Amino acid sequence: MSKKKENELKTRGVSNAKWGYLFILPFFVAYTLCTLIPQLMTFYNSLFMNYRDGLTQVGPKFVGLENYIKLFSPDNTGTIGILKYFGNTIILWLMGAVPQIIVALLLAVFFTSYRLNIKGQQFFKTVIYMPNLIMASAFSMLFFVLFSPVGPVNQVLLASGWINKAVDFLNIKISVRVLISLMNFLMWFGNTTILLMAGIQGIDQTLFEAAQIDGANSWQIFSRVTLPLLSPILVYTVITAMIGGIQMFDVPQILTKGIGMPNRTSMTMVMYLNNYLTTSKNYGMAGAVSVVLFIVSAVLSLIVYNSLSAQYRKPKRHRKY
Amino acid sequence: MKRKLTAIVTAISMVTALAACGGSAPASSTTAAPAETTAAAATEAPAATEAAAETEAAAAEESSEGKVFNIYAWNEEFKGFFEKYYQVPDGVTVNWIITPSDNGAYQQKLDEALLNQANAADDDKVDMFLAEADYILKYAGSEATQDITALGVSDFSNTYKYTVQAASDNNGVVKGVSFQCCPSALIYRRSIAEDVLGVSEPDEVQAKLDSWDKFNAVAKDAKDKGYYMTASFAETYRVFSNNCTMPWVDADNNLQFDPQIEAWIAQTEDFINNDYTLTAGIWDDEKNAQMFADGKTMCFFGPAWYFNFCMGNAQDPDKGCSGDWAICEGPAAHFWGGTWLMAPAGTDNPTMLADVMNTFINDEEVCSALVANEAQFSNNQKVNAKFAEDESYGNEFLGGQNDVAVFSAMTDNIVWENHTIYDQLLNEGLQNQLQQYFKGSVDKDTALKNFYNYINETYPAINTP
Repeated sequence: MSKKKENELKTRGVSNAKWGYLFILPFFVAYTLCTLIPQLMTFYNSLFMNYRDGLTQVGPKFVGLENYIKLFSPDNTGTIGILKYFGNTIILWLMGAVPQIIVALLLAVFFTSYRLNIKGQQFFKTVIYMPNLIMASAFSMLFFVLFSPVGPVNQVLLASGWINKAVDFLNIKISVRVLISLMNFLMWFGNTTILLMAGIQGIDQTLFEAAQIDGANSWQIFSRVTLPLLSPILVYTVITAMIGGIQMFDVPQILTKGIGMPNRTSMTMVMYLNNYLTTSKNYGMAGAVSVVLFIVSAVLSLIVYNSLSAQYRKPKRHRKY
Repeated sequence: MKRKLTAIVTAISMVTALAACGGSAPASSTTAAPAETTAAAATEAPAATEAAAETEAAAAEESSEGKVFNIYAWNEEFKGFFEKYYQVPDGVTVNWIITPSDNGAYQQKLDEALLNQANAADDDKVDMFLAEADYILKYAGSEATQDITALGVSDFSNTYKYTVQAASDNNGVVKGVSFQCCPSALIYRRSIAEDVLGVSEPDEVQAKLDSWDKFNAVAKDAKDKGYYMTASFAETYRVFSNNCTMPWVDADNNLQFDPQIEAWIAQTEDFINNDYTLTAGIWDDEKNAQMFADGKTMCFFGPAWYFNFCMGNAQDPDKGCSGDWAICEGPAAHFWGGTWLMAPAGTDNPTMLADVMNTFINDEEVCSALVANEAQFSNNQKVNAKFAEDESYGNEFLGGQNDVAVFSAMTDNIVWENHTIYDQLLNEGLQNQLQQYFKGSVDKDTALKNFYNYINETYPAINTP
């Protein structure tokens, strides 16, 4: 091949890439318009005093970082509100997400195991996915009624003689948190299971067979073959679950009538944001909360991404078995 | 070259299609609005010409106003009366936009609509909205509402004075009317009163409960007999809060606690500690369950709308106890709530709006029907007086008692003062936070501090301690 022709091919290759860029352009334009610009606007808004008093608009007036200072100063109870609500959010998320991932992983392994060969898989998959189809607020409302002091759960417990006075589930810190986590767990474990199943099915079956022929037991196959190869999907699942968890809103909002009872221990970051936004349309403070929320999500996602996928990106020494 | 061009055009069209669904909402809505109106005009045009050909000038005048009458409300109560007693002019469609008032959701929805009133298409404009005593000031005092006397609602000779004051701005310009007058009474179970007090007739019961000291003392007697005095920690809240001597905020927007609110907290602490009442909120199922025949609660507080609209459990044909109830004034005069019909500025149906208002305050036939069929206490003194004096009139739910007579006697004691635009969410917020104290999950100090936090988030303009 002559030098000239080679050059020609190269240039043609480059010009093809140009078309590639053109076709991915819509995504970037949409991303800029729908995500990036709103994000920058949020940050911009967080630097202003801007709210409504009755029907009267107050501001917008530039106040610099005042909203952030206010956000991180102790409130009337002496705690720094946003840290407390961040803590609540993380606790609520962990209580729901840890069991969710463990159970989903277990189910995914069972469902894909050709040795177990579970019958009626389609049915079970549909059933475990079902709670996800219910609107979160409806689900939450259902639990609100079920666990109210005069609700069915209390009636059953009273009738069976296990308790002699109705338990106010929705006003006890631990039970409220358990209920919120339970709902999130029920709603999302089916979704995670299906994602992980897809991941496992994507692994070359011959690897399992080879491991088996080499004499590996089930646990060894799971921990040494399945888990490492599933890692990219697992990272994805954990990160999406985490972002979803940090933005937790509808379930606790409805279950606690928006006040995060008792003593604001079930108030999440987004509920706090919502408090600023609903009545007074306080874009300044709400913007500041959003920016903090964004930074927190970004940092946590980076940490998770790095810690879970680090070993597969770095070249590694051979393990001795 | 041609292929390049097609590709660019495709890419651009994809981009614009995607962009239209996201960031540029205001642009798309402004372009959509004229399209809608032209479409509406096109479909209306033939109908209008037909109508003009058939009828006379009156129809022409009517058709110059909007064809859609939008009413914003927070529940179905008034909707029922409107549909039953108001004859909607031909060709007008009434559109109800109903949003529950919890957590201020109704006010938010309404605010958005009112602030957008000038830009909204005629058929989307708010033509009438309902407002409650707790936040009526916010709207009556603003420019979002208009003078109804200019629209032709000017005869207030029969309406109760406080209902007109409430709907007026600082200069006395009237912006709305109420279709009901809401003196609030002590609603008690006759059978339980007989057991606890030894009497069950309203006059005798009133004599035994006409002050807070007596009321509190009777609470102990009720407990001894196995009853609750009230079914919610907030049951007596309105009786106290309505007799406040100062508003929630002072002239400089500093939060202030009226001695009456303090008195309510003190009484409730006593009631909760002694099991005279329940820790349920005022609208909770746990409280409502007490209205059934097997309920153990003697006293409820509320105006006519409370027992005819909110005491469904008591009226339940199987489990209820209709007829076992009666009302008297109780320990202190007060009123609670009330639904005002407000006139938004910029409505395209001013004639119909005025007509609706006049119907519900001055049409004696309609007002009489509200009393006779709906157990309302109407906002027409003449009609109420007629029923109060009518010996054959009695409310079945109240065991045949003439409730109109009781309420008529109470109206003189109602005063409209010390209200702010923040009342609804402050009353609601205080109850929500203190409920946690009464349930024992936080101490009183924390509950109040949480209340201040709630205010700081909800109303940045209010200064808290």
